[in-house]
Amino acid sequence: MNNKNNFDLQYFLSDASFENWAKGLNKNDIAYWNSWIKNNPEYFETVENAKSIITGINFNKKHLDNDKINEALSEILPKIGLDPLPKNKSNRTRAINSTLLTMSAALVLILISWTSYTYINNNSTTIHKTNFGEIIDLKLPDGTSVVLNGNSEISYKKDNPRLLNLKGEAYFKVKSIPSTNAKFWVITNDLKVEVLGTQFHVNTRKQKTNVVLDEGSIHLEFMNGEVTKMIPGEMVTFSKDSKKMTHKKVDIATPYALWRGDTYAFNEIPLKDVMTNLELTYGLEVQYTSNELKEIPISGGIPNQNLKICIAAIEKATGTRIINKNNILRVQENPIY
Amino acid sequence: MELHSDQTIWYFFKKGEVNGFNLLFKKYYPQLHVYGLKLSNNQEITEDCLQNFFIQLYEDREKQTIINNLKAYLFVSFKRRLIKQLQKNQQNISISETQLFNHNFTFSAEEISIHQEIQFLCTSTLANLINNLSPRQKEVLYLKYYSGMKSSDIAEVMDMNYQSVLNVLQKALLKLRKESENQQIKNILKKS
Repeated sequence: MNNKNNFDLQYFLSDASFENWAKGLNKNDIAYWNSWIKNNPEYFETVENAKSIITGINFNKKHLDNDKINEALSEILPKIGLDPLPKNKSNRTRAINSTLLTMSAALVLILISWTSYTYINNNSTTIHKTNFGEIIDLKLPDGTSVVLNGNSEISYKKDNPRLLNLKGEAYFKVKSIPSTNAKFWVITNDLKVEVLGTQFHVNTRKQKTNVVLDEGSIHLEFMNGEVTKMIPGEMVTFSKDSKKMTHKKVDIATPYALWRGDTYAFNEIPLKDVMTNLELTYGLEVQYTSNELKEIPISGGIPNQNLKICIAAIEKATGTRIINKNNILRVQENPIY
Repeated sequence: MELHSDQTIWYFFKKGEVNGFNLLFKKYYPQLHVYGLKLSNNQEITEDCLQNFFIQLYEDREKQTIINNLKAYLFVSFKRRLIKQLQKNQQNISISETQLFNHNFTFSAEEISIHQEIQFLCTSTLANLINNLSPRQKEVLYLKYYSGMKSSDIAEVMDMNYQSVLNVLQKALLKLRKESENQQIKNILKKS
């Protein structure tokens, strides 16, 4: 060791493998640090102190009651002029509403258990598929996390879970395997994404593939043989049909793959694009009474876990009326505005 | 995977979206509530202060420049507000932070669980030891192990430099460890 002077408290505390040793987490790290300490007894005291700081004190945390939080929240919202729930309804209508809500919740549950499924067919291919409007969190056998958006599908062979096919839209947080440098592949109709360990978002809707990289680095291999490298914060769009590729920077502060929370994020996006999103995730058709309506810009978050709430939010954000009749959404001007 | 990062929450909050406000409130109200209680030992003042704090945060949202670290920012500004309120209640603006918080951050035995490092102490002894540390040491321990803050954030909240945070942590934990070792020796002597 030639830089012995640097082994201070801060050095140990900022070392991830040291932290694993202190917490007794990783066999390799434990073996490494045990032997390191044996060879460097003069740092015993510092090591012990660093270990104490990492393990610290276990507090049993008190959790504030959810009802109390909601009560405080509903007290504060009217004071700042944000009131999501119409307050002027009488108790009777509210009671009816809540029964309706529980009923629709039960319905949704049943629907989900019917439609979201995972199956393994004869060739030992695992398929995860989501229905319209449903989002699922998955953990693949290699530790990679996937959030699959509505109306999407991923499939992989059992003997190679790190090579998967995607239809629709998904967010990946790939677990890196440093020992073998094992790569992770996502294949869409248009391109192949080659990954080490990273976080990114792939969308294959509308006859093209969008890839947004949050963290790490990935290579894209297009079906025409072209290869390109992406850096974090970049979005690449490619379509096999039009053979057009665009490269642009996106604002990571406006998270691109926000549907994986309970909210869609839009930043000055025209209404028609927002509605296309709904068409694809919920399987609806959208009609407009005038073309001007299509261009109204929307910014901000739209809750997406429930179509009704989602539509209400879009109506409010754009000042339009949206009528849902047999899964056809009709967008028209709101006479009140 | 954390679905709503602070960055996302702050983005929507600044937009003035009710969703953004809800997300921020639901994530930080509970944390600030416990912190405020530990600081002031007074539920009424804490809750009043918290409500006003969130209202002002919302009203001033457009004035805020980019906040790199939301958690530290919220903790430090809420603490400042709480101190002001407590000084007002005492009708003594010059009263110092240390005097105000002389009896704060007391922990009960139920709030602590024992792990390997200090396993020779029972929870009540450990609680006692922690309660006898200086208010500053207790607050640092609280922020680190109760609120799960990074040392660099603690430095921001406590208005200290990073190295001093480490020193405080080191001193406090060393004290606890020494006591645990003494207890261990006592136990061995008892047995033989």
